[in-house]
Amino acid sequence: MSDHLKLHTEGDDAEVTRGLRKLYAAPEGDSYWRGLEARILARLTSAPSIGWWDELDNWMRPALAAAAVVLLAAGVAMFRAYQVEQDTTYEAMLTPTTLPVETAVRPVLLEQRDATFRYLMTSR
Amino acid sequence: MQSDAAKMLTERDHVIAAQKGSESAFAELVRLHHRRAYAVARAIVISHEDAEDAVQEGFLHAYRALDRFRSDQPFGAWLNRIVANAALDLVRRRKVRDADELPETVALPFRDPGEADELRRRLGDALTHLTDRQRSVIVLHDVEGYTHGEIGSMLGIPEGTARSDLHHARAALRRLLKDIRSNS
Repeated sequence: MSDHLKLHTEGDDAEVTRGLRKLYAAPEGDSYWRGLEARILARLTSAPSIGWWDELDNWMRPALAAAAVVLLAAGVAMFRAYQVEQDTTYEAMLTPTTLPVETAVRPVLLEQRDATFRYLMTSR
Repeated sequence: MQSDAAKMLTERDHVIAAQKGSESAFAELVRLHHRRAYAVARAIVISHEDAEDAVQEGFLHAYRALDRFRSDQPFGAWLNRIVANAALDLVRRRKVRDADELPETVALPFRDPGEADELRRRLGDALTHLTDRQRSVIVLHDVEGYTHGEIGSMLGIPEGTARSDLHHARAALRRLLKDIRSNS
């Protein structure tokens, strides 16, 4: 940037800055500022104070969100447990038993055989 | 005139007393800072009335958050951040409200029909072409004399962004006011 251009730009900016300062000039006169001060203080005293119920109210939203998350997690956990139980039952029904049928009936046959043997021995 | 150290000590005393519940101490803080707070708010909002609202809102927030303020920090900088946030919030709410209104009812905020000064009137119009942030940055820097870092802290933007906004705001105003200045 040449010096000439820089000086020209600075001069332009100074002019704009002067305009901005006029445009944004704060109100003059102590009476205005005393009035604003009084309004600020009046606002402080008229505004409702923050009591414990307001604090509670501030906590209400995060507490509700946390409760919703907990409920959702519990629901998911219960659903998964139910699904696992369902799957186990279903698989148990479909899975063929590995034990031979003979094993299942053998105690009954043994009992009959013993009874027959006892009968033969006692009837002699 | 009080020395800076004595003034700081007094302010700190007021802050500590206000934190302990002294309303008169907080009133003293209001007295010490309301002009600066107005200037910060005025740089951000569109109108004088909105600036007054933002200042009142800012002091109310500060009063309620006083127990969270660390008294070894400069109270003015903390307060200005709160006021700037209140002003930014007001600008956002105004935008939402204005978006719901008919275009005819949205006035040019800086236009003053009785204003004879051509540069001032045109400058007012030109400012409406800047983004809210660019306008705030150029006013806070060029009118109120805040540094880029202070502006960044107040507006919640990095210092470099404040610097860049200022550059673009100046360039835009130069471009928009080019014809007026070439005639003068």
